[in-house]
Amino acid sequence: MENKNIILSVKDLVVKFKVRDRVLTAIRNVSLDFEEGKVVAIVGESGSGKSVFTKTFTGMLEVNGKVTNGEIWFEGENLMTYKTDKEWLNIRGKKIATVFQDPMTSLNPVRTIGYQISEVIMKHQNKSKEEAKKEAIELMSRVGIYNAEQRYDEYPFMYSGGMRQRIVIAIALACHPKILVCDEPTTALDVTIQAQIIRLIKELAEEYGFTTIYITHDLGVVANVADNVAVMYAGQIIEYGTVEDIFYDPRHPYTWGLLSSLPQLGEKGSELFAIRGTPPSLFEEIKGDAFAPRSDYSLAIDFEEEPPMFKVSDTHFAKTWLLDPRAPKVDKPKQIQNLHEKILALTSKGGIYGER
Amino acid sequence: MTDQELFAFKRADDSASEHISAPKYSYWQSVFRKFFSSKTAIVMLVIALTVVLIAFIQPILSGYDPMETPNINNPSMRFIRPNGEFWFGTDDKGNSLFDAVWAGTRNSLIVSFSATIITQILGVTVGMFWGFSKRFDAIMIQIYNVLANIPMTLVAMIMMYVLGSGMPQLIFALSVTSWISTAYFIRVQVMIIRDREYNLASRCLGTPTVKIITHNIFPYLISVIMTSISRDVPSFISYEVFLSFIGVGLSQAHASLGRMIQTYSSYMTSAPYLFWIPVFISAFISVSLYIVGQTLADASDPRTHMV
Amino acid sequence: MKNYIFSRVIKSIVAVMVVVSIVIVMLYTMIPRYKIFEKDEGYKKMSGDARTTYMYSRYEELGYLDFQQKSEMCSNASDNYEACMVNDSEELNAVISEYENNGYVVDYLRNGDPFVYHDYNPLQLIWNFYSKLIQIDHPGYVKDENNPDIERKYYIGESPNGMPAIMCSGCQYKYQLYFNSSFPFIHINAIHFNFGISYPTNEGMPTWQVVSQGQGSQVSTEQTFPSGVVEKSPLNQYTCQYKPILDTIDQRRFTDNYANCQSYYESPSMINTSYIFGIIALVIAYVVAIPSGIAMARNKGKIVDKAGIVVINFLIAVPSLALIFFVRQIGSIFNFPDRFPILGFEDIRSYIIPIIILALLQIPSLMTWTRRYMLDQSNADYAKFAKAKGLSQKEIFTKHILKNAIIPIINGIPSSIILCISGALLTESAFAIPGMGKMLPDAINASNNNMVINLTFIFTALSIFSILIGDLLMTVVDPRIQLAAKGGKKK
Repeated sequence: MENKNIILSVKDLVVKFKVRDRVLTAIRNVSLDFEEGKVVAIVGESGSGKSVFTKTFTGMLEVNGKVTNGEIWFEGENLMTYKTDKEWLNIRGKKIATVFQDPMTSLNPVRTIGYQISEVIMKHQNKSKEEAKKEAIELMSRVGIYNAEQRYDEYPFMYSGGMRQRIVIAIALACHPKILVCDEPTTALDVTIQAQIIRLIKELAEEYGFTTIYITHDLGVVANVADNVAVMYAGQIIEYGTVEDIFYDPRHPYTWGLLSSLPQLGEKGSELFAIRGTPPSLFEEIKGDAFAPRSDYSLAIDFEEEPPMFKVSDTHFAKTWLLDPRAPKVDKPKQIQNLHEKILALTSKGGIYGER
Repeated sequence: MTDQELFAFKRADDSASEHISAPKYSYWQSVFRKFFSSKTAIVMLVIALTVVLIAFIQPILSGYDPMETPNINNPSMRFIRPNGEFWFGTDDKGNSLFDAVWAGTRNSLIVSFSATIITQILGVTVGMFWGFSKRFDAIMIQIYNVLANIPMTLVAMIMMYVLGSGMPQLIFALSVTSWISTAYFIRVQVMIIRDREYNLASRCLGTPTVKIITHNIFPYLISVIMTSISRDVPSFISYEVFLSFIGVGLSQAHASLGRMIQTYSSYMTSAPYLFWIPVFISAFISVSLYIVGQTLADASDPRTHMV
Repeated sequence: MKNYIFSRVIKSIVAVMVVVSIVIVMLYTMIPRYKIFEKDEGYKKMSGDARTTYMYSRYEELGYLDFQQKSEMCSNASDNYEACMVNDSEELNAVISEYENNGYVVDYLRNGDPFVYHDYNPLQLIWNFYSKLIQIDHPGYVKDENNPDIERKYYIGESPNGMPAIMCSGCQYKYQLYFNSSFPFIHINAIHFNFGISYPTNEGMPTWQVVSQGQGSQVSTEQTFPSGVVEKSPLNQYTCQYKPILDTIDQRRFTDNYANCQSYYESPSMINTSYIFGIIALVIAYVVAIPSGIAMARNKGKIVDKAGIVVINFLIAVPSLALIFFVRQIGSIFNFPDRFPILGFEDIRSYIIPIIILALLQIPSLMTWTRRYMLDQSNADYAKFAKAKGLSQKEIFTKHILKNAIIPIINGIPSSIILCISGALLTESAFAIPGMGKMLPDAINASNNNMVINLTFIFTALSIFSILIGDLLMTVVDPRIQLAAKGGKKK
């Protein structure tokens, strides 16, 4: 653990939101280290807190949200001590950039594409207008825009969705960030475009050498691009490991459920798997294991006490009582027992993410 | 508990996993709770109710008629300053201003309430069809594009000129010039709600149209209509006062705050109370009704009910 | 794009025509026509046949009906004028029955002379209005028996200020097109709108002249007349029309018959008066409302925002009439006049309070919309992305949000500017300002139908075309619309 190069380290983070006089705890004591140059995927269903978690890295929480506990260490500084917007401006965009879900609305409709890219270059690299323009055009070609010079002065509505996402990525890369947070970057795009964008981000990550944090609920993307995977549920990371750990040796019942519900794994004639029930309300205090009410493998203690993070291997951790030595032995559900072979079979068929 | 007990399988029943922590909810209860949580609104409601009550009861007791001037030949009855007997004093014809003001207020309120009711019924009905029917929309939007550009004050004034200056005519002129904008407002809201995902989903799941309208659309529309009413009532009062002030509203046979303000403006220096009391009362009614209406409109919006 | 503009213009013209036609028909058919004499002192003094003839002549002049007296009937419908002019003659009776068959109503004066009249139906009323509405001047206009050999031609001449002008002989106006230093610098007399004459107020004057001509007493300046005479005179030579009979002063000043000129006045016309007040108030309203709306949006939920909302609600809830008198009263405490004529056009103090009021009346809605647009835009995804890009709060507002939020505000500016002309009815009434706003209720109360029609036309046309201009302006400021149109051309 010690010899790894940690670029961003989150310790015991708690984020609370005030929603119409009620307090919602969106992130509950999360700790996570991000290794430099790696691709980390954060997966989980809607409302599990994955977006909120990454927003804290850049101080982008909504006005009613607040970090009430914890530290985020980046380049020797605890970002949680930042109070003013001015302090954040050194991090946001410059060191940690974000690409959002919907490229259709991420760009200002009444400013030219060129303006929106060179604006960032001028701001963060103190370059002149001409230099910025030159660099912006280079970036545009780099992310795959043909005739970049001509298209510099065009407006976003003249670009297709996939091209806009390329522009958004170009803007995010304009000041050579150390970390790129991709918040569901392909959800709003066509399936055919998704693969292109993911490939592009991957190539750029190698070229520019930044750390990528993916937020997604698309396990296909995860299998293809991620080095490490963090599974979030109800504001906590419940399992963390390398992509192999998570896909071939998952330990948490929620991860099992998540993998079982992959439609690609469904067998002809059998019903698709679904996790029953709904996630718990984050307005109320959660006792024990948050997933217990929905789990087919819950133990009595799950309703009494919160499980600690159990270490499975040097790279693999899971937060479930099933890993306690006192717990009964449980077999993984049938659907995911031969996941390795199934995934290989899928990718060899040339599935959309078949390049890995 | 022993370890063995603690580490035994225990399956939560399905109801627990489906549990959604939402408190019991009643629409109208929430509306009232929300409304009465605002102190200003309560004060304004009391004021508005008092004004409305006095305006409808006092003129019955006084039997005020602006055309009857029994004291006109009695100089000692003219221009009496407000005192214990004549709370608001008397005017140039020896009539009690207190009686005149409340009769005027009553007329303003009658005109305003009637015009609001007609405008809303017409506007909401047309607006609903307009919002739901694409074919109707194609025709109506053309008509609206023409009508919306015409200065409605002008139309109202010309209508009063043509039709004559009575109460029904005024109500007619106000309604005719306002219903289309209400209808347009409702149309836009209906279109927004109609195409919301939860309604599409509801329809896909086979919910009958009637149930969609009563359960999904109506509660939302209530707050929209409330907003519309809360704007209409005070604005029609102002409108009546305005038209009567410039001489094309209610005729001399009707008591009217606007006409009073116009007539008494010549006594601004000699008997200022004659002028200022109607001005003040008209402001008072508008402001109280406006604030009550706004708060009620807010309270009737289900989105504000999440406490 | 061209098609769009064309269809919008056509629709606008149709809309104006429909409204004006409806108003014409309503005014002429639904209002008792005797009401027009209620303010006519001359009529009240008349009696007998004089009164009857006057009444019908007026009706004819104002376009209610076609009225013909005996002599007119005879000269129109009879070959034998002399025989026809004798009452009860066969010839006259034949003429009368001919008129009767044509739908005319026959009546007799007390002296036994017959006369006929026939009311126009709604279609004729509308036709009469529009057929006379646009008058194009031409060299054949003048038909003067005393001057049958008048030269009929256009020529380039010199206007009184020495600039070249297109002039005409034989036309109604001498100067057809000329330039001078007063707004709008290029002036055209070749085309005129005819909205009929004003009656009973401003009797006999064209209604358009009533609202556009200067007010107050005439102002004389030293000027050179075509004959070379230099004299002090209030005449505006650019407006000279053909005058059949010249008096001695005219003969001394002019070399031709174009001596019927309008004058210069010391005070601006009704339109200009309203415009002066309106424009200044408008500028103030925008200057105050937009920054405060922005400030409220930037500090949403904070004290600035809350205070702003209270102010806006107060200004909206208080009836304008009450607000006007409150502010006027406050003004008079600080020794501002509470009536415009007290100090008049020359004194700046006359303007201050009315302008403040006019601005105050526009500020609340302008502020509300600015705040709304700003908030809507700041919740947009691109604003969040701009933040993620590392732009400061201020940069996001000025460089991104403002540019989007300002577009709908710009859309409303042309109509605000143009509608200043229509005046502010209440404020002008309260301060007795001689502007356009008071004209409509005054015209209505005086049963001045032509004036009502003229004003309806002006106000409706202004509001419809200003919205059109606002929409066209959008194509300039909003790249999406402009470029979408370009894309359309490619097809």
